[in-house]
Amino acid sequence: MGPVRINLEGVSVRYRLSTHRIHSLKEWLISCLGGGLSYRDLWALRDVSMSVRAGETLGVIGPNGAGKSTLLRVVGEVLRPTTGRVRIAGRVAPILSLGAGFSGDLTGVENVYINALLLGRTRSEIDSSIDGIVDFAGLAEFIDSPAHTYSTGMMARLGFAIATAWAPEVLILDEVLSVGDAHHVERCRARIESLQAAGSTVLMASHSRHAILANCRRCIWLDHGTVVMDGPAEETLEAYHATVATCLGADRPRPSAPPGGLRFSG
Amino acid sequence: MTTLWQYRELFVYLVRRDLTLRYRRSVLGLLWTVLHPLAHMGVIFVVFSGVLSLRTESYAVYVLSGLLFWNFFTQSVTTSMTSLAANRALLLKVPVPKTIFPLSACLSGLANWVISIGPLLLILVVSGHPMGTSLLFLPIAIVVGFLFTAGVGLALAPLAVFFRDVVEMVTVVLRLLYYLTPIMYPITMVPERFTWIIRLNPVGPVLEIFRGPIYLGLIPSVQSMAAALLVALVALAVGATVYRLTGDRVAYHI
Ligand SMILES: Nc1ncnc2c1ncn2[C@@H]1O[C@H](COP(=O)(O)OP(=O)(O)OP(=O)(O)O)[C@@H](O)[C@H]1O
Ligand SMILES: [Mg+2]
Repeated sequence: MGPVRINLEGVSVRYRLSTHRIHSLKEWLISCLGGGLSYRDLWALRDVSMSVRAGETLGVIGPNGAGKSTLLRVVGEVLRPTTGRVRIAGRVAPILSLGAGFSGDLTGVENVYINALLLGRTRSEIDSSIDGIVDFAGLAEFIDSPAHTYSTGMMARLGFAIATAWAPEVLILDEVLSVGDAHHVERCRARIESLQAAGSTVLMASHSRHAILANCRRCIWLDHGTVVMDGPAEETLEAYHATVATCLGADRPRPSAPPGGLRFSG
Repeated sequence: MTTLWQYRELFVYLVRRDLTLRYRRSVLGLLWTVLHPLAHMGVIFVVFSGVLSLRTESYAVYVLSGLLFWNFFTQSVTTSMTSLAANRALLLKVPVPKTIFPLSACLSGLANWVISIGPLLLILVVSGHPMGTSLLFLPIAIVVGFLFTAGVGLALAPLAVFFRDVVEMVTVVLRLLYYLTPIMYPITMVPERFTWIIRLNPVGPVLEIFRGPIYLGLIPSVQSMAAALLVALVALAVGATVYRLTGDRVAYHI
């Protein structure tokens, strides 16, 4: 087992939603004068602690809104947690998520340069790696076209190629392997494996049982911002799917009952 | 500051991209960055020196040099405000100082400002306006103008993320400020009892040290220089403080 790469201690993230959904400075000033604001706090992560070591690939599963993307953002250091401590050893690749934001007006090459410069690469380093990146993404003919002409899968491929080009110590994948074609998914898996062998730590959130099993030994299950389970991937998936099954089972006796809160009027 | 220095290559890249992007797929390409201000200034020059025949030709020079600064200021502040939202995807993907985006917006404005000085000098030559060694003071005036604008841009960028109406409010304020700044009129035209309003306007001193060397051919006095520098440093301090206090919250609200 390698050294600890990612260490979270008591990490909590609170999104503060104003009950009046304040958007404007004017409303904010008025409600401040009118005696305080009322908030609804939403804890997207509650007291999460975990360590991930070099060479480990950790899967993150859980229902929609469980806090998976929020956890990945905290590890990717783009979101500073409300409380708790995050320690990351090494360089983190850009978080790969669906619709992996490239500027549509810019060409593929320009997007590569901006992303890599933001990562702290120098012009000459990028110059010497650009061919490999374009090649891995399989975009040779399209790389000088504006990014808005790319398909979702093409963007995902380019994003993956940039993120893995300089063997990051920490790679974060948020549900991205699901849009590539079979050929690309296989190439990604191979590259993740070689990164892993070289000591990179990979964190991947996915709803795909298959993707988790193919890439991860260990897996955590998040629900309502807390870690329900942290263990071997198969066991965690098993337990998670068992609860999904019982939920469905519990629902079954009253299939025609209208869900609470949904009313049709008029 | 030192961390921002690490990103110098990025700034150069972003500014170059901004300059070229606007004129991409146009026949004349980059030439437009010079032609555009030249055409704009040419029109203003003709209107103010010929058609209106208000005063002498130097009045056109007065208006032109004032507008050059004003355009830089408003363009930079406006794009700074929207720069964080425009780069939302990157901000949620790569951990970078959030100052990068408003600063690069101001740097692009700066590049346009500096480029448009070329056509201005051309007009000075053509119109026979006296040009002296005072022009050598312009780089200092430009640096001070940039620091002031960057401060305002840095202060407003996070606010525009938290409150959706900030962009509109600032647009209105900038309009108002435009009329309160002696750009189209000389300050001597303002009645005595109103001049204090004009003098309270922080943009005034910063504009003055840029326009003076061109229009009057004089190096600014120590007092005007100190006033401009003070305004610029205060703006920068405010901008840096707003950023320090709110920078971490940007990712929560964007
Ligand atoms: N910018 C935001 N402002 C307010 N609330 C947010 C924000 N981003 C996320 N949330 C809330 O935080 C919770 C966790 O969201 P998150 O995106 O981490 O879920 P997730 O596990 O990734 O879900 P999914 O499986 O759908 O991707 C959700 O309840 C969501 O509504
Ligand atoms: Mg998610």
